Amino acid sequence: MHIIVCIKQIIDPEVPFHLFRIDPVAKRQIQGTHPLVISTYDEVAVEVALQLKEKVGGRVTALTLGKKEALQALHQTLAMGADDAILLSDLNFEEMDSFGKARVLAAAVRKIGEFDLILCGRQAGDVELGLVGPFLAGELGIPCVPLVANFEVANGTIRMRRPVETGYEILEAPFPLLATITNDTSNVPRYASVKGLRAAMRAPIPCWSSADLGLSADALGPKPLRIEIDELFIPHREMRCELIEGESGAEKARNLAARLKALGLIG
Amino acid sequence: MVHILTFCTASQPEIPRHPLELLAAARALSAQLGEGTVHTLCVGPASGAYGEELIHRGADRVLTVECPSVEAEIALAVVESAVRHLAPQVVLLPHDDLSGAYVGPCLAYRLETGIATDCGGFAVQGEDIRWLRPVYGGKAMAYMRIRGPVQLATMRSRAFDPLPADPTRRGEIQSFPADWESVRPQIRVVERLEEKEEGELPLDRAEIIVSGGRGIGSAEGFAVLRELARVLGAAIGGSRPAVDLGWVPHSHLVGQTGKIVAPNLYIAVGISGAAQHIAGAGSSKTIVAINKDSDAPIFKLAHIGVVEEWEKVIPALIEACREWRS
Ligand SMILES: Cc1cc2nc3c(=O)[nH]c(=O)nc-3n(C[C@H](O)[C@H](O)[C@H](O)COP(=O)(O)OP(=O)(O)OC[C@H]3O[C@@H](n4cnc5c(N)ncnc54)[C@H](O)[C@@H]3O)c2cc1C
Repeated sequence: MHIIVCIKQIIDPEVPFHLFRIDPVAKRQIQGTHPLVISTYDEVAVEVALQLKEKVGGRVTALTLGKKEALQALHQTLAMGADDAILLSDLNFEEMDSFGKARVLAAAVRKIGEFDLILCGRQAGDVELGLVGPFLAGELGIPCVPLVANFEVANGTIRMRRPVETGYEILEAPFPLLATITNDTSNVPRYASVKGLRAAMRAPIPCWSSADLGLSADALGPKPLRIEIDELFIPHREMRCELIEGESGAEKARNLAARLKALGLIG
Repeated sequence: MVHILTFCTASQPEIPRHPLELLAAARALSAQLGEGTVHTLCVGPASGAYGEELIHRGADRVLTVECPSVEAEIALAVVESAVRHLAPQVVLLPHDDLSGAYVGPCLAYRLETGIATDCGGFAVQGEDIRWLRPVYGGKAMAYMRIRGPVQLATMRSRAFDPLPADPTRRGEIQSFPADWESVRPQIRVVERLEEKEEGELPLDRAEIIVSGGRGIGSAEGFAVLRELARVLGAAIGGSRPAVDLGWVPHSHLVGQTGKIVAPNLYIAVGISGAAQHIAGAGSSKTIVAINKDSDAPIFKLAHIGVVEEWEKVIPALIEACREWRS
């Protein structure tokens, strides 16, 4: 089984409100001193790929579209257990919408050749559109199975498990297919060991440009882009938190209960 | 004339809130764009029964498709055929697991049109629509511009309040001849596993929600929170780590990738207050935070805060509430 996982490197999405800054002209977040990480759901997708490989054997290839610093995300994926990694990087790739990104990823998948499964996180932790996965499935003409948490193997059949309102759905679909990945108890990403990271740093990672993929600038979609941020701003939040005091936890609890009761919220 | 198409799935006897919110959004948009009509495509076994109410809540025309179940590929095929047939200028879909993660994106791909997902509003200037949506987990907001033959957006729940039912509103209800029978779904549900805790209230209708995060520390800890929820008649919610650790089922996740809730009272216990969590709880009337770290971001987002270890607060809170009850 050959599994391709598409990952995106982003600025740590866990940066809290008060340290979060944007550049309203460039219309994006300012990195400052915050680390770059694999987008949360893409890291979950890597975990899902590795677990499936452990069940059925095969190979996991990580694919990312980004600048040179995205090599770091690929090193991490290799250290987690992926077999190969490929960086797609080109100046032409920097001004694209989800249509263009899907087209580049599809060209890379075709260049890779054979595959059985493509995994993408359900949405990136920055702009959070959730489009590249379904668009990539469209480019490749394969089924898109949304919001899968993991794969089960029973009697030689691979089934997908998807959390839904009432519990879980078990799904089947013909391979090759693309699944977008959501989190649950089964797929909390493993850590990359320091030893693994050291080895991964030495692994050769090919970098493919638009020429390598046979894509002209025109092939990346029309300009102006079909999906674009027009204006980015930080919403104004003014909140004064009323702190409940007390000598002990129990006293704070009683004071809280009394306050909530006085506000008509409980009791 | 601007025509807007909204989408409603009809698989339960009662109309859920979300498609009614879409109608309120569609009417607001229609009023700003100048006159036009709002059509609702209503798909599923109960679609006939929804028609009249959809008209009372803002639709001018309801197109029903009575198929036995609304599987993803069938929904996509039906919506695509309606969009091609009616050629609306704007299509509004609910941002839920079906439409936000599948129907919307796949439709955009097939129509080669831009799409804005998870929208909470819009700004209209002349004929130009800019779609407002959260980015960076809700730490920033973006006005998006989308281009293509149709303006396509998925709308997050709770962004609009449904219009009050107006029984004097008149409109047409007709069946839409979508050929769903020839769709051969490739994705098949082969098994459904129920995972409901006995007597647990659903999140979306609860007046009070008690929600726990990583700080609860264990499933046993969550049992104490459940006791508080029982005493208060509250639903139980959780943050992403609480779901990943198996303390609450996925359907009780609150946040950007979970439920958007708006109860009277939201009690967040052992939750740090990440933007992605608050994105789902920020519309609650009153947010109470219980966290041992006075620097936790949640104290910048909550109305009432208790800086303390939850273990020292929750049992006494349960006691205090019990005393009133008896
Ligand atoms: C794209 C994306 C989507 C996401 N969607 C969601 C979503 O829908 N919902 C969601 O919740 N998260 C979501 N997240 C994750 C989110 O960013 C945070 O990681 C998560 O909400 C943190 O959960 P937490 O507050 O439980 O844990 P933590 O951030 O680890 O906080 C635990 C808190 O517990 C406190 N604590 C510890 N011990 C105690 C004690 N004994 N008593 C009291 N307090 C204690 C600590 O002080 C701390 O503040 C998403 C992330 C991304 C990138």
